[in-house]
Amino acid sequence: MKYFALILLILSFNSFGSICDDHQDFEKIAVLNKGRVKPYFVAAKEFTKAITSKSKISNIDTNKLFCLVSMNDYESIKAQINIKVEHFELKKFLGLADSDLFINIEQALEKKELVRSEIMGQKENNSYKKALNKFWFKANTFEKATKGELWTVYQKSDKQSEQKYTWQPISNFKEISTPQLLEENSYFKKNNENTIDIETTYAKSNIFTYAMLIALIAIILTVMRKSASIGFAAGWILIITEAIGMTFRVLISGRAPITNMYETVLFSGFGALFIALIIYIFKRDKLFILGGLGYNILCLFMMRFADGMLSESISPLVPVLRDNFWLSTHVTTIILSYAALALSWMLANMTLIKGRFGTLSSKDLRYYEDLIYTAIKVGIVLLAAGIILGGVWADYSWGRFWGWDPKETWSLIVLLFYMAILHGKSTPWVNTRRFINLSAAGFMTVMMAWFGVNYILATGLHSYGFSEGGAIFLGVFFISQIVLIILANIKVKTRA
Amino acid sequence: MQSLFKSLRKIERTFGSMKFAVTIITIFMFALIYGTFMESYHGAEFANRLVYKSLWFMGLQLLMFCSIIVATYLRFPLKKRLYGFYTIHSGLIILFIGSFVTYINGIDGSLELIPNTPARKIVIDKDFLKVSIQSENKSIKFPLPFGAFGTKLDGKYKNLIKLKEFLPSAKLITKWEKTDFIPEAIDHGSIYTIFNDNVSQEFTMSLNPSSDFKSSTRLGPLTISYMPHNLYECFTAESKSGFIIWDTAANNCYTAEQKNIPVIKTSKDNEFIAFKNGNEILKFFPNFSPLPVNDDLTKKMDSSFRVFSRKLFQDKPNLFLFGDKFAFYKKRKKRWIGKKFSEKEKIHKLPWMGFKLRLLEHRDRMVPYQTPIYSRPIQDSGKIVDGDVKAVKVEVKGKEYWVRSDAPLALNNGKTEIRFQLTKDDIKLPYQITLKRFKMDTNPGTNDPASYESFVDLLDGRNNSPATEHHVFMNNPLKYDEFTFYQASYFQVGPNVWGSAFSVNYDPGRPLKYAGSLLLVLGAIWHYFLRRKKKKTTKV
Repeated sequence: MKYFALILLILSFNSFGSICDDHQDFEKIAVLNKGRVKPYFVAAKEFTKAITSKSKISNIDTNKLFCLVSMNDYESIKAQINIKVEHFELKKFLGLADSDLFINIEQALEKKELVRSEIMGQKENNSYKKALNKFWFKANTFEKATKGELWTVYQKSDKQSEQKYTWQPISNFKEISTPQLLEENSYFKKNNENTIDIETTYAKSNIFTYAMLIALIAIILTVMRKSASIGFAAGWILIITEAIGMTFRVLISGRAPITNMYETVLFSGFGALFIALIIYIFKRDKLFILGGLGYNILCLFMMRFADGMLSESISPLVPVLRDNFWLSTHVTTIILSYAALALSWMLANMTLIKGRFGTLSSKDLRYYEDLIYTAIKVGIVLLAAGIILGGVWADYSWGRFWGWDPKETWSLIVLLFYMAILHGKSTPWVNTRRFINLSAAGFMTVMMAWFGVNYILATGLHSYGFSEGGAIFLGVFFISQIVLIILANIKVKTRA
Repeated sequence: MQSLFKSLRKIERTFGSMKFAVTIITIFMFALIYGTFMESYHGAEFANRLVYKSLWFMGLQLLMFCSIIVATYLRFPLKKRLYGFYTIHSGLIILFIGSFVTYINGIDGSLELIPNTPARKIVIDKDFLKVSIQSENKSIKFPLPFGAFGTKLDGKYKNLIKLKEFLPSAKLITKWEKTDFIPEAIDHGSIYTIFNDNVSQEFTMSLNPSSDFKSSTRLGPLTISYMPHNLYECFTAESKSGFIIWDTAANNCYTAEQKNIPVIKTSKDNEFIAFKNGNEILKFFPNFSPLPVNDDLTKKMDSSFRVFSRKLFQDKPNLFLFGDKFAFYKKRKKRWIGKKFSEKEKIHKLPWMGFKLRLLEHRDRMVPYQTPIYSRPIQDSGKIVDGDVKAVKVEVKGKEYWVRSDAPLALNNGKTEIRFQLTKDDIKLPYQITLKRFKMDTNPGTNDPASYESFVDLLDGRNNSPATEHHVFMNNPLKYDEFTFYQASYFQVGPNVWGSAFSVNYDPGRPLKYAGSLLLVLGAIWHYFLRRKKKKTTKV
């Protein structure tokens, strides 16, 4: 009897509360959620992000947070789990003050059903309804997690047969210890080819933060030093760093790293720098390196700080995109063309700003025009090729070369815009100054085709990556770009 | 002759000029921008009707084509400097011709496959009005125009049928029409809103069989039934048995107690009543059926009497509407409650989930019906939510009717029947395709489809070979004869039974389009990259 009590005591120590303290030991175990097998570490990070909109919460490790929530034992940390509430009407509905940005998870769970019926009462699918839906979804995800449904464990389902395994929610295990977890996981490793270890390494490496640092140093060096060679070398280091990061993603997902907005932004930054460095070899102008690095760091900033709009998680693809050959050729070509056009946009804006703060002779202007023209040439040839590859893919998998789908149509609009400028160059309508202005403005059509179709038009067959913040981001971009062009030209006119 | 030549030159110069090219490219670009926004607000079909497949857009493309051709012609004789230019522009010309061939001769349709059912009908997205005249054993198809807005039609068949108007997109509005339906007690209609703090739903009800509206509806667990107005008194009357006898011939009703009809219990505790109607004795088991039973307990269908058991409607939420009155069972008070709407009291509380009922409109001797009016389709989150009905107005013997895509029309004058139906065009394949198995894989642990695959048999009766097996899935189409079959989507046929939808395509312009595309890309590389290099090397 005494021993029995002792065993009970040990067992209870080993159970719920304490297992979460050894989270470091099991952060590499495989978890199946949201349609993909991933390391516990990544699942925990994604969960934290999904609920709190933050990648990190002060004082609490995301591993521990996910563990405690899955064990339904989060009393001690619940004060720190908050859901972000941005929509004005939603704040009012939840009884928050206008200045409040967050609601505690406990209140959120209490309000969940009320929110549900509020959703039912909405006739129109407006931003309020979307905010309600988003909120409900978060609360519901959290509730699922407390039932242990998000942390699934690979387990032998049939004691007799060695072959049968299923994914069971952690709540199905009455008392599970870390060694037991690791043992179950060893079956997974034995039975499946997997990239869990690679993914853990990738997720913990923060490689793109380092890339950002390199980019920053490279820009400073390029601006400070007269010779471009240091910037050129730093540019290649950055290219290699980003290539390593992308290779990780390719190994994990088994497909080209261009399947969501996060990846396309990354790839365009990479592509623009790459194209800039190549052009530099021929044209020997530091401005190319600066433009490439500048655009690259903008992309890294977006990936890091616009994480509400760009999700870094790797998710399953919609069936129609599951063709590695076409995906890698068509999307890569298109994004590379956007990258080259982005380079022309950077150069055009740099010229405009330069003209605003200093004077540019018409010879200077013609020189810059030539630089921009070089980038645009690369861009439109790649774009034309990309559009046609897309048409061939569509023909091959949907049976039509062209269907006026908004994504297709907008990529054609981009091509037409640049074609109009290039043809216009041979008429008196587009002189050097106008060419520079139009090249700066032209990137707005690229942004519309790239982001606007998903975030503003939000319809059609290319239905990946929708988000709310996108429309605001685009609006801000358009306005800033127009203001920049206007300011640059007012100066020019008063001088003349 | 000289002046003709001169003006030709002038036209050439205009069409072939750079300024013309820039202008037409810019106009074309803005047309596309307009099209994508229309697509976003009103859906793909409307955008096609308004922009992409409209006549003016075709005209724009023709102008662009002319510009390219004349511009290329003007740059002859061949100049080495312009080889890239020639390649790009001839690529574009071939691309345009290829697209035109597809437009004229191509076929783009869909094929729906239900498991183990041979299919050979390809549906093509082209609207038709199909008219079938029974007495003449004849079926006529009238093609409908592909415009974005309401169009007058002038098709007719003899002096019998005239086509008046086509609405490519419409929404339905409710209107009222006078009737003289008998019995009078059921000849009325009403529009209500039921709402609480969370939901609100409007519904229209009528018992008239010619109405578009039903006489019962469900809202979650609540069942709403529309009743003849004279049954109200019986539903709310005191009655221990709760049996209401309705004489449809005499058009009146009473409770069992009011006529002193005793309720008898059988040995198995089933309640049973019987009464005399003339010479006939009618027997009812109202808890099982409102119809009387014969001696062998089969249902007697020809009687004008019905007996309802109110008790059946006491357990679950049931709301009975009698036009401007309604009744329900209040569990707490254990009795039936009746309420009337009046000028003062337009809203009444209901005993379930805070629901309230508002009478919007009630009309006696009138029947509510739906009529289409033109409306642009409204798209929300990728789905058409309003304006998704198509309608054709036809005139038959001086009277006008609407034929709707969601409701075919059948006119019967006793002698013959004329049926009108809005359908799509179709093609019959000379062979048949049978879906053997449809397989859908989901992403592990979710219900999101990861892939869908169809296993089909193709049987061609023209050659005496046995059926061939094919496996069609995303990015792996089936090519047979001149058609290509693509896995497009799937639909539910029954519980756990899925049908597969193929898109079917015949594209004679394909080789031209591919050749043109190739020339275009090669030409662009030539023009923009190789040309420059050559210049440099010659300089050196």
